Amino acid sequence: MLNTGESSHSGPLVPRAAAASKTFEPHGSAPKSQQVRWAIEFEKVSNSFGAYPVLVDLDLQVRPGEKVTLIGPSGSGKTTVLRLAMTLAKPTSGDIKIFGESILFDMAGKPLSGSQEARIRRRCGMVFQHFNLFPHLTVLQNLIVAPTAVLKQSKEQAEESALEYLHMVGLQDKARAYPAQLSGGQQQRIAIARALVIKPEILLLDEITSALDPELAGEVLDVVRGVAHRSKVSMLIVTHEMRFAREVSDRIAVFDRGRIIEQGPPEKIFSHPDSERTRAFLQSVLNH
Amino acid sequence: MTWDWNFVLKILPRLMDGVWYTVLITLASSAIALGGGLVLAILETVSTTFGQAFVRFWLELFRGVPTLVLLYFTFYVLPEFGIVLPAVPIGIAVLGIVYAAYCSEVYRGSLITIPAELRDACVALHLSPYITWQRVLAPLMIKRAAPALLNYVLGLFRETAVLFALGVPVLMGEAHEVGYENFRFLEPYTLAGVIYLGMNLPFLYLLSKLKDKHA
Repeated sequence: MLNTGESSHSGPLVPRAAAASKTFEPHGSAPKSQQVRWAIEFEKVSNSFGAYPVLVDLDLQVRPGEKVTLIGPSGSGKTTVLRLAMTLAKPTSGDIKIFGESILFDMAGKPLSGSQEARIRRRCGMVFQHFNLFPHLTVLQNLIVAPTAVLKQSKEQAEESALEYLHMVGLQDKARAYPAQLSGGQQQRIAIARALVIKPEILLLDEITSALDPELAGEVLDVVRGVAHRSKVSMLIVTHEMRFAREVSDRIAVFDRGRIIEQGPPEKIFSHPDSERTRAFLQSVLNH
Repeated sequence: MTWDWNFVLKILPRLMDGVWYTVLITLASSAIALGGGLVLAILETVSTTFGQAFVRFWLELFRGVPTLVLLYFTFYVLPEFGIVLPAVPIGIAVLGIVYAAYCSEVYRGSLITIPAELRDACVALHLSPYITWQRVLAPLMIKRAAPALLNYVLGLFRETAVLFALGVPVLMGEAHEVGYENFRFLEPYTLAGVIYLGMNLPFLYLLSKLKDKHA
């Protein structure tokens, strides 16, 4: 349970001001945003690390608002999927589209420039395994860097909205603290607030509890549950927390050696999976 | 030869003029060294292979040639090409540029210690390369490099003495002058040494503070 944010159970988790301002609707400038079928779409994406194939002809689509969790053994390519979506890595072949627009190529098939790429991926936000907060900035400063620099909000405006998100993750009293003064769980909740404050339409969560003790992982997952249940943001989640995956996901995709071997609703995957390999993987993670 | 306190009192005001010059030149060339070093380190990191080779060439040049050679070159050789500069700006510029080369190495070293994950976070927050440098990487570089940089400022402060070779009235220059004017060297050079040492102390204190903080 959230230890300080009782409000998250009574009030709306997404701050009212943010929710009211068309938060999770596609940007007006994007072409044919109304007809777009997929929030994010991987088409025949392959990636390799040297000679070692990380992803093999991956096809994966996420609908707007859908929560999809990627599970599978370590090294099966799950994290790479998220890093590709955030352009932190480039695929060796295939295409990735965000709301119908490729983050790799323009209409003529030429590679995108840095600024074109930045415009399209701006609809994504990401939370990392190791929080990656800026150690020299206070919590509040961490939260307002992107809104002031990218969304061109005034400092006052950005701080006001940052405080609402801090309240949402139950850490409004830590605004003036530095990351090093907080617990891992608190740092990760700040990182979630920092990702949400730029109002992403797709949220990428990369093993966000793997670096945390179990009791701290709980408070982080509570925050994500709240966001998942109360907002229309699409989520692509990589996690080893099977109970959490089951609760929060609309769909689970099971990865093995760079391929999706099976996908479907959580009830199906966890209760009667088709694949023998899925069964073996679940057995190994659920019985430890 | 015995120590003459009256002579000491007589020359002390002139030596203090030298202290004033020393402080002024140290501050001005430190500003060039600290700022220029940061710019060089960033340029070397972001530029193309050709740009990197260019920056490296300048770094090696200024670190490899003795300061005195650079000073004499600018002071005596450049006028032959019609470029005549007064001694004080030359001293400030040469010391500033030489120490900028040293400082850029320190900055580069501290940049390497910044985890790549922080850059990932900048991408995930859609910060432009400029904002990434301005708000995240440069402040972290400066913070991590501070103790080593202060060491170089200290070295620069001591090296201002070499400017007496161009006739700049730094503390060493003044001591040299009054020595020759009076044919007494014991007091001027002893005092100069003591004053240099004394001026080191605040630096050393600051340095120990910084090292405590970073330890």
